[in-house]
Amino acid sequence: MMPRILLVSLSAFLFLSLLGGCGRDRGADVTFAVGGAPFEIEFWEELIAEFEEESGISVDILRQPTDTDLRRQGLVIPLNAGKSDPDVFFMDVAWLAQFAASDWLEPLDRFLSQKKIDLDVFFTDVVNLADRYEGNLVALPVYVDGGLLYYRSDLLTRYGYRGPPRTWEELVECSRTIQEGERAENPGFYGFVWQGAQYEGLVCNFLEFAGSNGGGIGQADGRIRLLSAENREAVRFMYDLIHRHRISPPNTYTEMKEEEVRASFQLGNALFERNWPYAWALHQQDDSRVKGRVGIAPLPHFPSGRSASTLGGWHVGVSRYSEAKQQSLELLAFIVSYRTQKRLALTLGWNPGRRDVYLDDEVLQELPHLADLREVFEGARPRPNLPYYTQISDVIQRYVNAALAGETTPEAALAEAERELAEVVERYGQD
Amino acid sequence: MRGHTLSELREGYSFMLPLIVFLGCFVLLPVVGTFVTSVYQDVTFLERKFILFQNYRRLIGDADFWRALRFTLLFVAVSVPLEMLLGLSFALLLNQSVPLRGLLRCCVLIPWAIPAAISGRTWELIYNYNYGLANFLLARFGLSDEPINWLGSSAGAFASVVLSDAWKTTPFIAIILLAGLSVIPSELYRQAKVDGANFLYRFYRITVPLLKPTIIVALLFRTIDALRIFDLIYVLTHGGPGGATTSLSLYGYRYFLVGDFGYGSSISVTLFVIALVLALIYVRLSRWSTELT
Repeated sequence: MMPRILLVSLSAFLFLSLLGGCGRDRGADVTFAVGGAPFEIEFWEELIAEFEEESGISVDILRQPTDTDLRRQGLVIPLNAGKSDPDVFFMDVAWLAQFAASDWLEPLDRFLSQKKIDLDVFFTDVVNLADRYEGNLVALPVYVDGGLLYYRSDLLTRYGYRGPPRTWEELVECSRTIQEGERAENPGFYGFVWQGAQYEGLVCNFLEFAGSNGGGIGQADGRIRLLSAENREAVRFMYDLIHRHRISPPNTYTEMKEEEVRASFQLGNALFERNWPYAWALHQQDDSRVKGRVGIAPLPHFPSGRSASTLGGWHVGVSRYSEAKQQSLELLAFIVSYRTQKRLALTLGWNPGRRDVYLDDEVLQELPHLADLREVFEGARPRPNLPYYTQISDVIQRYVNAALAGETTPEAALAEAERELAEVVERYGQD
Repeated sequence: MRGHTLSELREGYSFMLPLIVFLGCFVLLPVVGTFVTSVYQDVTFLERKFILFQNYRRLIGDADFWRALRFTLLFVAVSVPLEMLLGLSFALLLNQSVPLRGLLRCCVLIPWAIPAAISGRTWELIYNYNYGLANFLLARFGLSDEPINWLGSSAGAFASVVLSDAWKTTPFIAIILLAGLSVIPSELYRQAKVDGANFLYRFYRITVPLLKPTIIVALLFRTIDALRIFDLIYVLTHGGPGGATTSLSLYGYRYFLVGDFGYGSSISVTLFVIALVLALIYVRLSRWSTELT
């Protein structure tokens, strides 16, 4: 008889633990979803502990992964089901519009005026072009990003260049000369590394090449325009960098994402690098081969255009389904406060969403490059603020990547992409 | 199969009840739920409405869907026979009484025991353009002056995915076939030897017919598994270059991510139907093969 009792109790235990796993312990007032590298999450835990002590509001931290797609997936599922937690969460700027249009975000205007939080302390264009959706403020910037040109200052000096290139033409010329010189010792040396793999980063890079030629993703009377002489020239140039000038490696369109690009530059295998500001601190680490030999500058432009930088970054918002809105809003106010943003800059090297922190003496002393970054961010261009932006990005990624691989011409790629974008708009652009 | 008493039946079903409940909750319900979602316009930022088969109609005109379907079927058609062939060879080798047979069997199983996400990452490092093992070996043995961009072309990426998958799942087939081989009575072989049958003759007349049911089971598992390939590709190529290695599951997943649950579900349902049809064919096949023997 004994084994049977054992079996029954074991299965009962398993069944109950299965049921138990579904319910969530709702001990805390507010659930805060935060992802990123482990050291970043640890610092958030420290900050939140202080917030709990000061405010008397208890916060549960929901650890999210580093990968952007997985973080998004972890939010879309509970929000789509109307779950009350997480209450407060970070969003990539590229999904803000989808979240806002799905009516998942609590409007913030009233709370901010109640708390007398001045919107002018944030980057104006970022707030107006990314955080506002149909007039409502739905999020605030915590971390601002924009594409930059990193260069090897030692190599430029050694080869007699006075400064980083201002136009793409200069970049090509400079790269060819130095690449030829450096190849004698380092056969894997390339002039310019950037993100060309098929993923969101490629769209950011494309927007910078195109934007610096006066092009980009055009939006007019409910249509999306891609096929223009400027964009064609930009894609052609991206292709040429790899196949004609051969100053960008052949794996640009297959493997090159942020980290691959950073690694190649940091190992001393590249003269120029297009990357986000996060790479700066890593290039300056002790184990970096380029430590103290790196400079940053705005990205180059075409003869008739101006330098363009794609706006990236993370924003904080409050769930519409939150059952503790007031407490959640308090947490949001804490996150975007001067004190917290300054500490994020000093401890994690984040670029704050508040521009007043960029004028802080202590911050500038620790992070002098922030002075340059501020200007880049002031003019950074957001991606189209549409709820179905990801579908648009998907189409552009695929066609631009195919053009880089030489599977189609820039002209055909853009024309095909534009045709497919019309279908996307027709499908998702109703209402 | 006839002549069960009522109490026998009741006892039988009561044994199966937990499994039926489990399958009903965790398999049948989600399948039905996915089907229901697929007949709705279920986009997070649009109004939910019933649209019958519009999602499916959209699939028919969706070139990327056909491309993903073509890739998935081609992947099954190439990888499953390849793995079958390799798995059978391994099984035959391991069935011989060689020294350290137990250890060898364990070693063969290792790739199968490694999670696909990890083996995907490992293979990604092998194929890596700059510091991958493959290019290192090429340069070391002077086979190529320039490193090869393995994942850079559609054909290269396809071959890389097939190779990585074969490495990972061949052991699975080998183990199943090994089990099948071990139940073939050795007297048959001995007798055949006495009668003067050579190795090939013994293989075709004894091994193959008696192994057939096992082969069909292995094929069934592998085919369905290969149809749903996701993790390896997600890690290794992310569906690239230019969407050339996007499988149906990966394609459907993309739509879940961007909030179009209706369309994503219609892709999943299509995949389910394909898998179901293939499974039924295999089941038919296995009945037919057992009826013959």
